Amino acid sequence: MEHMNYAASAFSVPLLLLLAALAALLLPLFIRALRGTQGLMALGAALAALTFFRLAPQVEISLFNGAIALNPASAYLWLFTLGVLAAVLALSVYRPPAGEENAGEYYFLLLLSALGLMALIAAGDLFTAFIALELLSLPLYALAGIRRSKPGLEAAYKYFMLGALGSAFTVLGIAVLNALYPALTFDALGQGTPGPLALAGFLLVISGFAFKTALVPFHMWVPDAYEGAPTQISAFMGAAVKAGGVVLLWRLFSLFDGGPVREIFWWLAAITAVGANLAALAQTGLKRLLAYSSVAHAGYLAVAFFGGRQGFEAVLFYLPVYAMATIGAFAVALVLEKDERGPQIEDLAGLARTRPWLAAAMAAFMFSLAGVPPLAGFFAKFYAFAGAVTAGYTGLVVIAVIMSAVSIYYYLRVTVAMYMKPPAADTHAEPAGLAGAVIALMAAGVILAGIFSRPLLAAAVGAARWF
Amino acid sequence: MTELLTNPLSLSIILPAAAGLALLAVPRDNEPLLKGAALAATLATLLVTLKLYAGFDPALAAMQFRLDLAWIPAYGISYALGIDGISLLLIALTALLMPVSVLASFSYIKEAQRGYYVCLLLLEAAMIGVFAALDLFVFYLFWEGMLIPMYFLIGVWGGPRRIYAALKFFIYTMAGSVLMLAAILWVVAAQHAATGVWTFSIPALYGAALTPEAQFWLFAAFALAFAVKVPLFPFHTWLPDAHVEAPTAGSVLLAGVLLKMGVYGYIRLAVPMFPRGAAEFAPWLAALGVTGVIYGSLVAWTQRDMKKMVAYSSVAHLGVVMLGVMAFEPAAVAGAVLQMVNHGLSTGALFLLVGVLYERRHTRMIEDYGGLAKVMPGFAAVFMIVTLSSIGLPGLNGFVGEALILFGSFLAYPWLASLAVSGVVLSAVYMLGMYQAVMFGPLRHTENKILKDLSPREWLYLLPLLFFIVLIGVWPNPFLRRAQAAVDSYIQLAQPYPAPPDTLPAVVVRK
Repeated sequence: MEHMNYAASAFSVPLLLLLAALAALLLPLFIRALRGTQGLMALGAALAALTFFRLAPQVEISLFNGAIALNPASAYLWLFTLGVLAAVLALSVYRPPAGEENAGEYYFLLLLSALGLMALIAAGDLFTAFIALELLSLPLYALAGIRRSKPGLEAAYKYFMLGALGSAFTVLGIAVLNALYPALTFDALGQGTPGPLALAGFLLVISGFAFKTALVPFHMWVPDAYEGAPTQISAFMGAAVKAGGVVLLWRLFSLFDGGPVREIFWWLAAITAVGANLAALAQTGLKRLLAYSSVAHAGYLAVAFFGGRQGFEAVLFYLPVYAMATIGAFAVALVLEKDERGPQIEDLAGLARTRPWLAAAMAAFMFSLAGVPPLAGFFAKFYAFAGAVTAGYTGLVVIAVIMSAVSIYYYLRVTVAMYMKPPAADTHAEPAGLAGAVIALMAAGVILAGIFSRPLLAAAVGAARWF
Repeated sequence: MTELLTNPLSLSIILPAAAGLALLAVPRDNEPLLKGAALAATLATLLVTLKLYAGFDPALAAMQFRLDLAWIPAYGISYALGIDGISLLLIALTALLMPVSVLASFSYIKEAQRGYYVCLLLLEAAMIGVFAALDLFVFYLFWEGMLIPMYFLIGVWGGPRRIYAALKFFIYTMAGSVLMLAAILWVVAAQHAATGVWTFSIPALYGAALTPEAQFWLFAAFALAFAVKVPLFPFHTWLPDAHVEAPTAGSVLLAGVLLKMGVYGYIRLAVPMFPRGAAEFAPWLAALGVTGVIYGSLVAWTQRDMKKMVAYSSVAHLGVVMLGVMAFEPAAVAGAVLQMVNHGLSTGALFLLVGVLYERRHTRMIEDYGGLAKVMPGFAAVFMIVTLSSIGLPGLNGFVGEALILFGSFLAYPWLASLAVSGVVLSAVYMLGMYQAVMFGPLRHTENKILKDLSPREWLYLLPLLFFIVLIGVWPNPFLRRAQAAVDSYIQLAQPYPAPPDTLPAVVVRK
């Protein structure tokens, strides 16, 4: 009975988001007074969901013949998704990315995408995961180009073409696996050693999700998409979509004890850490820099996989810490942006003089992403690498730590511009407003979540047991 | 949790950190309050370390003032602190140099003062933390955390090439340290595999059962991180840039404290944890140290910028210290510990004196001066004492340390020790040459004729350093006695094939 209660309460959250999505889309069509309030509706729904969301009892509740599995792990990640969503919505209210006439569509699509992510997290079988992935991705293609400007359309186009290719791989792989494992549930997929055909199927599925997670060499869409999409959507892609991909990849990764799949993951992790960090060195645009940084972090997360259970605990700790820094950095970019491509790094020159608190927060995000103690990013990296070393993958960790030393350079360039260069003549002095609240919250998070990492780590450890 | 504040060791870390954060609440333009609060906080920290010094029992070999609070139990990480005589001396040095640095910054720093004093105080917390940490994770946290305030000190308040210097400093140190992080994880995982316990406790990891091959690589990873910091030749290239570009207080703390962290790392971590690896590397590290002595001295000789000369002389001095540390002889190690303090005092004072000149004339070039003894007699006298201390004149502190190192290391590395003596001779050549060019001769530049002698504030921060320079020179015993037990246990832990565990010294046993 208690379980049914929990299931009901858990389902009221997606239902609430769905209702809010429909309300944002439809109500203003009929009630003129509600035009312009779509953002507040969506934000209100997300905040209400965050407030009333209950953490799951320590059981797994399987629904719809195992298509959806509610357990503490999915609850943890749902909470994470809601948090990211609320932050992105707040940024959208702060500065609407779409015109008045598109506001309804914008929030509708964003909420649907978040619903897709929640379904992906709770998916109990591979086919549900695929449908959820599409529900997550399709709205994002439209959102990336919602401004219908040239960079926006380029972003949407690239994202869509490569995303569709990834989806094609995934669905082909699922078709192959379906022939061998009719149930397609993750439990069934883990049975026995896969033959060559099954292996091919797994690899196709993995490459499809590697597109979403943006592992090198499946990352080509990322810089353009992050740069051209509205900054709020870039933040959502960087923080939330990646999390969905990572969770799915972990579920596939953990089906194998060794063999070619692990070997391929080893190479994916290593190439991602090396390639993304080297490419990031050459970036001049802040959003492109953050795009490559997000690819690099996907690499570190893949390294963490090798730590097994302990590694996945670290992944669950890593995701919110990384998301806070990324959302915060994109929020700063949003506050400073003058055109669609967002600020160049040089545009941040002298920010420490003109807006000291904004600069301090941005510095905290950069140092956290770089993994410098005492910021939370260091703790996250430390946990991520600890598991992999314990499991004997020291070589991979050595590659990752060397590349994270390389990454220092491009993160420091941002602080150099802010603190060590004189202010540019036309400093953009947009008040930070609601974005300021988001930035302050994220900055507090990256500063405190490391030193006081016990509660978050305990939650991650508790959740990790269920995947 | 109240131990965080009642334990004086922990308090000496938390006090400056909390004061630094509290300064953020002070309005940016309230100069007197910012300066006064920064000075008060560093003086209060100095008082706390005096309490440590007074309460320290030199007879005990074990760690003292221990604190062990579970922090991240899932990984066996605890906020563990404790000091032996070596850390005690270095913490005392840090706490002494801090109010001096703050006082020296009062007129030097004119822009963004709030951020400056915040960085100084956070830096102090991290520096003391490095010397007090008894948990590898905590050590690494302070070790790397120290980079952020120092990076800003150099990059924001530094000279014309400050951005280059700050980036180079940060990236060199970070690049050196990341492999140490991998090595730390490896050691802890290996210890876990052997004992089933997760622990980052440094004493508990002494004598961990590791194969000679593992020790070789682990020592190499740690040694690289520390070699960059010391800095050992050829990892020293960040140092002249950082020292020259940093503001005076930054140079004082870089030379006075940060370089010691590297040497301290060898003493506290690399050697005792991997004695067999250390045995393989020690002659090479000693040789690199001596190379640094000769190279640093020769390069210093050719410098025309006083700050650069002092910076290269640091490479030479630290080279001698490394020779002592790697000799594993009681006299040499004790000398190295004392020489670390000496170098902090005398090189710190030299940077302060160069800063005094720079504030008046805005140049550090030797040829821009000459005959200063006529207009600044007090300054000339102080400069003389400090110069003599730096070149190791008997009766002043530098002599005691260098002599002990050379005597001690002669037993282990006769050839290297003999070569190192040449560095001592060379240092006399270039330092006295610089002194002569700056102080004596005619007053060639008219701008120099109106230079003012030391102000009361400048006397105030130079006198404590002079006091210790003379005190250690004539009466080094109280300082050596405090380090004695720690030095002995270092040498014992450094034995590659130690005696059976039950005869190991008390530090090995976790309480």
